Parts: sequence; C-alpha cells; structure tokens
Amino acid sequence: MSFLLTLIIFLPTAGALGVLLIPAKQVRAIRWFAAITAAVVFALTLILYFGAHNNFGDINHLNFVQHVPWINITVGSLAFKIDYFLGVDGLATTMVILNGLLSFLAVVGSWHIEARVKEYMALLLILETGVMGVFAAADLFLFFLFWEVELIPMFLLIGIWGGANREYAAWKFILYTLVGSAIMLAGILLLYFGVGVQTGVYTADMTYLANHFLQGSIPIGSLTVSLQLIAFFLTFFGFAVKIPMFPFHTWLPDAHTEAPTAVSVILAGVLLKMGAYGLLRIDVGFFPQAVHLFAPYLGVLAVINVLYGAGCSMIQSDIKKMIAYSSISHMGYVLLGVAGATAVVGASALTYRQAALTGAALQMFAHGTITGMLFFCVGVVYEKAHTRQIAEFSGIAARMPLAATAFSFAVFASLGLPALSGFVAEYLVFTGTFAVLPIDTGFAAFGIVLTAGYLLWMIKRVFYGPLNIRWNGLADINTVGEILPLAALMVVILLVGLWPGWFVDILQPSMTQLIHVINGVAMH
Amino acid sequence: MIASVAQIAPNINLYLLAPELSLVLLAMIVILVDLVVRRHMAVVGTALVGLAIPAGFTFALGATPHPTQAFFNMLLVDQYAIFFELLFLLIGVITILASYDYVVKEVKAVGEFYALLLLSVAGMMLMASTGELISIYISLELTSFPLYIMAGLLRHDDRSAEAAVKYVLLGAMSSAILLYGLALLYGLTGTTDLASVAATLRAGFRSNNLLLLLADVLIFAGFGFKISAVPFHMWAPDIYEGAPTPATAFFSVGSKAAGFAALIRIVIDAGLGGMSPTALVALVSFIAILTMTLGNVVAIVQTNVKRMMAYSSIGQAGYILVGFAASLVSGKPDGNSAVLFFLLVYVVTNLGAFAGIIALANATGRESIRDFQGMHWRNPLLALGTAICLLSLAGMPPMAGFLAKVYIFAAAWQQGLTWLVVIAVLNSAVSLVYYLRIVRMMYFSQPVKPGYFTASGSLSAALGISAIGVLVMTPLVGVLLAQAQPAANSLFSFLVH
Repeated sequence: MSFLLTLIIFLPTAGALGVLLIPAKQVRAIRWFAAITAAVVFALTLILYFGAHNNFGDINHLNFVQHVPWINITVGSLAFKIDYFLGVDGLATTMVILNGLLSFLAVVGSWHIEARVKEYMALLLILETGVMGVFAAADLFLFFLFWEVELIPMFLLIGIWGGANREYAAWKFILYTLVGSAIMLAGILLLYFGVGVQTGVYTADMTYLANHFLQGSIPIGSLTVSLQLIAFFLTFFGFAVKIPMFPFHTWLPDAHTEAPTAVSVILAGVLLKMGAYGLLRIDVGFFPQAVHLFAPYLGVLAVINVLYGAGCSMIQSDIKKMIAYSSISHMGYVLLGVAGATAVVGASALTYRQAALTGAALQMFAHGTITGMLFFCVGVVYEKAHTRQIAEFSGIAARMPLAATAFSFAVFASLGLPALSGFVAEYLVFTGTFAVLPIDTGFAAFGIVLTAGYLLWMIKRVFYGPLNIRWNGLADINTVGEILPLAALMVVILLVGLWPGWFVDILQPSMTQLIHVINGVAMH
Repeated sequence: MIASVAQIAPNINLYLLAPELSLVLLAMIVILVDLVVRRHMAVVGTALVGLAIPAGFTFALGATPHPTQAFFNMLLVDQYAIFFELLFLLIGVITILASYDYVVKEVKAVGEFYALLLLSVAGMMLMASTGELISIYISLELTSFPLYIMAGLLRHDDRSAEAAVKYVLLGAMSSAILLYGLALLYGLTGTTDLASVAATLRAGFRSNNLLLLLADVLIFAGFGFKISAVPFHMWAPDIYEGAPTPATAFFSVGSKAAGFAALIRIVIDAGLGGMSPTALVALVSFIAILTMTLGNVVAIVQTNVKRMMAYSSIGQAGYILVGFAASLVSGKPDGNSAVLFFLLVYVVTNLGAFAGIIALANATGRESIRDFQGMHWRNPLLALGTAICLLSLAGMPPMAGFLAKVYIFAAAWQQGLTWLVVIAVLNSAVSLVYYLRIVRMMYFSQPVKPGYFTASGSLSAALGISAIGVLVMTPLVGVLLAQAQPAANSLFSFLVH
C-alpha cells in the first residue's frame, strides 16, 4: 500500500481535472462529482487509521511510506537532493484525516454556491491536495513545495467568492503567508546545508534530520549565535504567521470574515493546523535546543494569544469575526502546550510535559472540528438572514430551533464543556503546563472564562430573548448541505470528547518521540 | 604565419557548423517563399517545418560522438553549446507559433519578420558555441542587427520607430564597450582564443591585475546590456513597449539567454573568473541585488503589461546573476547548472506569458494591465494558461519556476552567499504582487466588454506548449537536470586541456 498517500494527495487533483471537464451548465453533476471525489478521499484517509493496526509510529517509524528519488544531483561541491518521500506518523495521520473530513464537508456545505460552481469546486479540491501534501511529506523540500501549493487556490477562493471586502482580504492573506514562507525557506536551506556540512550527508529527509540536529554557531557582530537558534527563528516565523501568533495574526480576521463559509471552515480547520504541525514536526522535532531556549517566551506569547484573541472576540459585533478571533485565542492553547512541554528538560515533570504536548496536538484536531462547526453554523444563519450583525438578531431560536441547538452545541464544545473534544484538549494542556509554567497557565486559564463569556453572550443575544418580528419568516436548517456537516462534526466532537483515550493512543508514539528529543537537549 | 592546407584541412568541419548553416539557408528560403508564394501560411509553414533541419542536426550532434572543436577553436560544439542551440531553436519555434496572427494583422512584413527571427536565432546559436573573442563579437552582432530591425517593424507606429532607434543606438554603444573589453583582453594576452587567453593569464598574471579587472568590467557592461542588468537596463522598458509584441517576447528570452551563454563562456573558459574572484563576486552580487530589486519593485507600479514584463525580465536576470555569482565563488559548475536550468524554465515560461499577452492584444488591440479584466470569462483556457505561466515566473509551485529558483538559491547558499539568497527570496515574494495582480484582473473582475474572443490555433499551441511544459517540468526535473549538468560540466572540461 505504498502508493496510498500518493492516491490521497493526487485524487483530489484528478477530481479537479474531472470537474473542469464537465460542462459549466451541469451544476448538479459538478457538485456530485466533487462530493464523491472528496468522499472517496476521506474514506482513503480512514485507511491510514484502520490500516495502521494500532501501530501509529513516530517520525522514525512512519507508516505507508513511499520513497522515490526525484532530484539527486551533485555538481562540484553542491549536492541538491529532493526525494518524493511520503509517510505518516500518528500526528500526521490525525491531520490527514481531519483534512479529509473537513474538505468533504466543505464540498457538501458548498451545495448552495451558485456562482462559477465549476471553478469553485476545482479550486477546493486542489486546495485539498496542497494541504494533504504538507501533512504527508517526509522530505523537507517536498513539505515546502506543498506548503506553497495551497496559497493560490486559497487566494482565488477568498478573492472570487468572498464577501464585500474580499480582494483586500485575499491580498492580505497571501502577502502575509508569502513573506512568512519566504523566510521559512531561508531556514530550511540553513538546516539542509548546515546538517549537510556537519555530517557530510546532504538530505532533506525528515527522518534523518530528526536524528541529526543542527549544531555549531556563527558570530554576528560581537555575539555568537547558534545556527540552530537562527534556523528555528526563520522557520518559526513562517509557522507563526500561519498559526497565527500575535503579532502576526492580523490577516486572519479579514480572511476568515470575507471568505465563503466552507472556505472559512478549511482555513480555520486545517490551514491554521499547518502552522501548528510545522511547529511540532519541524521546530520541536529538529531544533530542540532552540525551542527549549525560546520556551519561556513562547509561553508568554501563548498567553497573549489566548487573552488578546478572547478580548477581541468579546467586542465584535459580527458573529463571524468573533469566531475568527476565537481561533486566535484557541490556537494559543497549542502554543501554550508546546511551551509547557519544552520549558524544562530531563526527567522533571515528564508525565506533565507529555500531557501538555499531547494536549496541544489534540487541540489541533479538536479546534479543527469545533471551529469548523462554528463556521458552518454562522454560515447557515447568514444564508437565511443575510446578516451577521449580532445586534440585528434577537430570539431567533423560536424560528431556527435546529440551528440554535447546533450552534449552542458548538459553543459548548468551544468553551470546553466536559464530554466534548475541546475539554479534553484544554484539560491536558492546562494540567500539563501548570506543572512547568504555573504563572503563564494561571493567566491563560482566564481565556476559558472569557471564551464562555463572549460565546454565551453572543448565543443569548442572537437566539434568545424576545423574537424580533423582522425574523418572523426565518427558515430553519432544511437542506442536506446544511445538516450533514453539522451532524457529522457533532458526532466527531462527541466521539473525541467521550472517548479521548482512543485518540490519545494515535498521538502517543509521536509525542513520546518528541519529548525524548527534547530531553536529549539536557545531554548536549 | 600562414597556415598550410594540411594544417587547415582538419580544422574545417562543416558538419559541426551544419545547424547554423542550415538555419541561415532556411532564412533565405523563407524570404524567397514570401517573394514567390506571398501567402502567410506558406511562409510560416516553411519556417516551422524548416526548423526541423537545424534541430535534427543539433540532435544528431548531441547524440553521437564528434570532435568538439573546429575552425581553430572558433567553433566549440560541446554539450554546453548543444544545450543552448536546442534552447534557441525552441525559442524560435514557440515565437513563430505565437506571432502568426499578430504579424498578419499588425506587422504586414511577413517574410522579413520570420527571416530576421531565424537569422537572429542563428546568431544566438553561434554565441553559445564559439571559443574565440572575435567570433563572439561577430555572432553577437549577427544576433543583434535583426533584433534592431524587428523592433521597428510596426512602420506606422511612432513608438515602434522610437524603440528601433533607441535599440540601435544603445546596442551599438554596448557593443563598443564590449569590444573595448575584448580588445583589452587581447592586448593583455596577445591571443583571441579563449583557451590560450586562459593559459596566458594563468602563466603570467597575478590576481587583481588592474587592467584585467578593467577588461572584466567592460565585458560585463557590454553583456549587461544584453541581459538587461542594472544599470544597463534602461533600454528594456521602452523597447519592449514599442516593439511588436512577438518581437518583444523574442527579445525578452533570446537576447537574455544568448547574453548569458556568451558571458558565462568567456568568464569561465578564458579563465577570467579565476583571476580575481573576490572582486568579481562582489561586483556580480552587487549588480544582482540592484537588478532584482529594481526590476521587481518598479514592475509593481507599471500599468502597461509589456513594460511590466520588461521589469519582470530585469528581475529574473537578477536571479540568474545570483546563480552566476555562486559559480564564480566555487569556480565549479554547480552554479552554472542551476543557471542553465533556470534559463530553460524562464524561456518556456516567459514565452507562454507573452503568448497570453499577444492573444489579448490581438483580441482587444490594447496592452494595458487593466485590459486583462475578466479574461477568464472571455476565454477561460487562455486565462488559465497565462495564469500558470505568470505564477511560474513568480516561483509558485507546482510550476517549474519554483524548483528553478530553489535550485539557484540553494547553489548560492552553498557558496556562502547567504545575504544574497535572503534578498533574492524576499524579492521573489515581492514579485508575486505584480504577477498576481494580472491573475486577479483575469479572475476577480468582470470583463469590460462581454463576449468570447478566440485565439488562433498556433497561438493556442504556443501557450499550450508553454503552460503544459511548465507543469511537466516539475516532475521531470531530474531528467532535465541530468541534461543541464553535463552541459555545465563541459565548460570546465574545456578549461582543463
């Protein structure tokens, strides 16, 4: 089954080409074709789980490996080597499945799109290819290649099908990400050549880089700075823009608010996770010393992310913008978990740190599903009411009981109600990090209170209270395109919330390996 | 000393010259066909079918063992030369395909246009395959003269006339500067043969000889004009804007690739690179930074798409100079194989982008960036092809421009030119702004005028070849690099003996 990942990555592209071949008038056929493609891809991603036989592996034991030499030239002193090297461990498996699920639901949730359906579906599928490639790549250059592939479809999706201010949002998105990834490329080159010079083996093979860390230092002015720290900062910048971390977050509210519903779902659900995934896989995995040095500051940045995001959400008058800012806040927990797991090394607080890191990885998945559901809910309300201004609503639960239920469910999951997935992730992050960074954790915990505050307040203002007669004729959720995504995400959120052990088991080997790497720092 | 027949005979090998000879003959035949048949289709058909002959000779030379030099080293048919000869023939084919409609509609001098184009291609091929200073200069002039005329072929357009005059004057000046440099080199070494120049330099000159540096600078300045490197770039925007668009497409790739082919040949095979490497690297890096930054920043504010492409091609020359600087540092072929691959990708991509521009000009008669509005509705495939080529120029994966850039950056990074790479990477991010602006125009905005427009079959073929080429070069990059690498190596094998 070595070609399974190739199939998962390129089947959406094939689907996109298929969609392009269908005449533009056949809108139904286009939708069905795209939906079936996405469904098949999702089914294939599930094989990654069932086919692993509870042996999910870490970076040193990848599953479903496909390794084909692609570019391998040595000219003079330059060795340039890129392999088509795919493989997934537990962490990547969860992300690939999340992308498969959300991409499928995004296609289904876009059933109501009427403008240029053909191009829309094709771009959505090409986007899926790019993101799948990022999570499945086991070669650093291949990772970067797929990282860039995702940009243009997203730019077009926001810019063509977005809201009133779509062009501004699309530009802001692409410029931020592009500057981030340009600097990240410099970091990747530094890592590639640094390790190459050091060990004599020039390779971007992630399994090699995970065991041969960048050493040495260079003088900059009167300071001597370790190469690992420089490479860390360069790559981290790229990831920080994507996550997004304060102060590089300002593209997010615009992009999320302007994008069409299903694109917001993908953007918040999986694209932000690319940044978090890079942070875990590349920064923690390849630059443990640098991450360890930076961890105290990362903790502070995480707290700012959590509280600043929550504070901004509090004052939003637009529901979608509120959800967008809540993403910044919730991605802060991922940063906090990473900071907690790396702030100390050696044997101290080992279990706690592992819990924090697992929590961070779990939060990536949980936030993907929860925020996806929240955006779908906002989409439904907007579709019916054509406004997202909280102040214009009142008491619409009387007219939209199903929407109110789904929205409340998603809100509960988001604010960390026990038995739902958000709770498990946040609980793990907080308990784990508290043992290492008690002050940061203490501050970040206020994030939960603020989250409950702004989300419940929004629910109260929009759905409850006296019914505004303007909304007397409002219809409830009524199409499959609206029900299926909400129901599916509800099931996943419950499943992870009620049975977290199942999910933690998938992540366990990857997290153990990362903690092991961090502990190795003490020995250097 | 007068050589005897016995000495001369083994040095005459017309087979090695066959590609260029057949190409010049073809140009004559094209003029004749235009005189006699006077049908556009026949002229273009002759040119296209005829190109198979020089291409066949070049392939045959590449596939079979043959002596690499003839005519007393004036002709060097190594893999480097064959790589470039094929590249120039490819440029010829795509340009001819892309210019079909435009030439009928606007230029009205059918035979002349194609004959001049073929002659210029012959000059370019010679530029890549001579190892002697005078013949380099002569082939440069053979390349340039047809270009000057082509710039002025829109006889009723003032801007075209202005472009031609400017091109002639500035071109003559740059040739003079180059000739000055070559003369200095000859004066210093007493020979015009590159290998002997290298041997003399190695034997009797110390590094950083001032006169030698002056010769270097003059040679760089002369070629700097051809490759439109800052500060010798001023001609490009005006001439790109004024010249017939297919001719512009041809200048933007042909003149640049030929300039680089000859420049790299001289610097490496005449051993200039080895004489004062630090100074040369500093010079080239500095020019590279200026060229990239100016090209990319000024391109952002352009409103005419041809001017924008002019600045874009200046920016692209900057990236190539980064790879060239890397090869100067190492004194090894690594940077050069990156340059060769980049040139190949650049040629295909840029011609594709120009095919899109020509299609637009044919349909609307206008060339401002704003005219791209809603092109997607008016011809979706054309818009898609143009978008793919523009994004490849910007270096977005999965288009081949991405790997070409990464390879150049990696080569430079490896040689310790870290800051140069960082500036190049940031430039590459900046460049996306103006390439994406056209993509945005094509896809985000509604068309000014509704209704489909069609592009002719040959133009669509040109764009199709380029767009598909740009996409398939990414998975096939291993194979292509395997071609570029011996080509880059062969330069150095020459240096050894």
